[in-house]
Amino acid sequence: MNSNPSPLNSSRFEGCTLTGALSVLTEVRDAVCIIHGPAGCAHHNFSLLHATLLSNDRLEVPLLLSTRLTENDIIFGGEEALETTIARALSLSPTPASIFVLSTCIVETIGDDTEAVCAKPRGVPVIAVPTAGFLGGVFETGIKGALLAVASLARPETAEPTLSANLVGEKNLEYGVDENAAEIARLLGRLGIGINLRFVRGISTRDLERLGSATVNILREPALQPVGEDLRRRFGTPYVDSFPAGLSGTCRFLEEVGRISGIDASDAVEEERAYQKAMLEGFCDMAGSRVCFQTAHPMLGADPAAEAVCTECARALDLTVAPDGVLVPFPYPAPVGTAGLRRMLHRWRLLVRG
Amino acid sequence: MKQIALYGKGGIGKSTTAANLSAALAEEGLDILQIGCDPKHDSTRMLMHGTWIPTVLDLIRERGDENITVDDVVYQGFRGVRCVEAGGPEPGIGCAGRGIIATFQLLERLDALKGDVIVYDVLGDVVCGGFAMPMREGYAQEIYLVTSGELMSIYAANNIAKAIARLSRRARSRCTLGGVICNAKNIEGERDLVAEFARRINSRLIAYIPRSRDVQVAELHRQTVVEYAPESDQAAVYRELGRTVYGNQKTSIPTPLEMDELESFAFEFVQV
Repeated sequence: MNSNPSPLNSSRFEGCTLTGALSVLTEVRDAVCIIHGPAGCAHHNFSLLHATLLSNDRLEVPLLLSTRLTENDIIFGGEEALETTIARALSLSPTPASIFVLSTCIVETIGDDTEAVCAKPRGVPVIAVPTAGFLGGVFETGIKGALLAVASLARPETAEPTLSANLVGEKNLEYGVDENAAEIARLLGRLGIGINLRFVRGISTRDLERLGSATVNILREPALQPVGEDLRRRFGTPYVDSFPAGLSGTCRFLEEVGRISGIDASDAVEEERAYQKAMLEGFCDMAGSRVCFQTAHPMLGADPAAEAVCTECARALDLTVAPDGVLVPFPYPAPVGTAGLRRMLHRWRLLVRG
Repeated sequence: MKQIALYGKGGIGKSTTAANLSAALAEEGLDILQIGCDPKHDSTRMLMHGTWIPTVLDLIRERGDENITVDDVVYQGFRGVRCVEAGGPEPGIGCAGRGIIATFQLLERLDALKGDVIVYDVLGDVVCGGFAMPMREGYAQEIYLVTSGELMSIYAANNIAKAIARLSRRARSRCTLGGVICNAKNIEGERDLVAEFARRINSRLIAYIPRSRDVQVAELHRQTVVEYAPESDQAAVYRELGRTVYGNQKTSIPTPLEMDELESFAFEFVQV
């Protein structure tokens, strides 16, 4: 697991719709993604995704194909190249269980009708993901579009859902993605709620059939609310709009999930408070230290939740926040749950000790 | 070598004017290259006696651009006028503007852009950067706006004047406005109206081409007027146009009209 908290990693959360969408779609592990555009668009993303997989100790290769458009395709239209590439994807062994087609800046500019090409019946679902390169928005828009596209493969649930949760829109490129999921699983465990589906991380096309059988969707961050709304409309699943951040935020998260699920969360919250207290005691040696929070790097913005989380922790540990204190960077993104805070406090201690 | 481009609203008679201009100049013994820059690829058809010549982009599509020679793309028409058609993608797909750019790159590489005069006949509206290609550095240095007295046509001409003004601001640009050609629709006061429009955009009316039945009859016979009816008044008009354009030394940077200026200009001239 890559535990490098370098702030430079946060550049991963900006950029092209394609990268955002692929960070989701390549986690449908039996799907092939076709990037309809010049070879370079696939190359950059392949490199990033491959490096991320490797740094998470996963020896897989992202299943990307490019339509490899050249100037002539731009002049005469690239739809034929897309047809050929879809056929190529279908001829792969093993046959992909689903195919996602992502559009780039240039095919959107010349007006290729990607959706019409995808709509032809082929026996395997071929889903057009409206990424459109920069024309479709930014990284985050790509993630949302991809989640909605993947959700289109799930059928509305007919059976009654069972008490469980989906994790929706995990940040697959963040270094702590699996620790964060484990933390949510731990917290939900206090309420007796299991994880139904990681939507989307390390799943198969078939797993998507389960999408509608959870009783609650846990969104990674509030920006995914449109996805939460869509899933609620389609499957009737209520959602919590963010992973928890901060000491009290984590307890509120338990309360909210409990409320939505019709479970009394007061015991769970009580247990979590005690757990947090024990965790903080492990850092009591820092009491009285002077710290000064700052953004991780002048080139980076701060996660808006980070400041509140840091201030709350400083108070709980009896630290003094002062301009002459030891410089401590705001975490980006904000740490998830109590376990996230513990990892953050380890870094604080290293800084405070010098 | 003189390189000129004809621009104007679709259907205004650019290709007819260009073909007759080329024919008239060829009669003078000049080496003429006419390049049709419109996906419709009908610019040179009258010079080629009705033959649809293979377009550059058809050849690129079929063979790739590695295996194309000058002889594949340049065809000799009336009086040795060398004809090229850029062509384009099927309607409604791809990017015709990029096709024009690719055509120019290929012609450049084949060293085909030579002669005493190159006439670029470009589609009606400069809808994107690709169709402004002939105006860019190294190609047409004189632009001629073809318009009738109809307001839509003048509006299109004014738009092209905007493109010329913008491109001429570039440091290395040599693109200027050579003049305005009135291809008449027999509207009352048409000549004065177009002349006044030309003056207001800092140019001049360089030729007035009256409406003539000879043009339609010649086209039915798949020829230019210059070839089909060499003794006609209309042929004389095109020869005069040829002499004027070939000898033209006076070009300008246009000052296109704003929309409200264009509207008030219209009210001055149109009888309501």
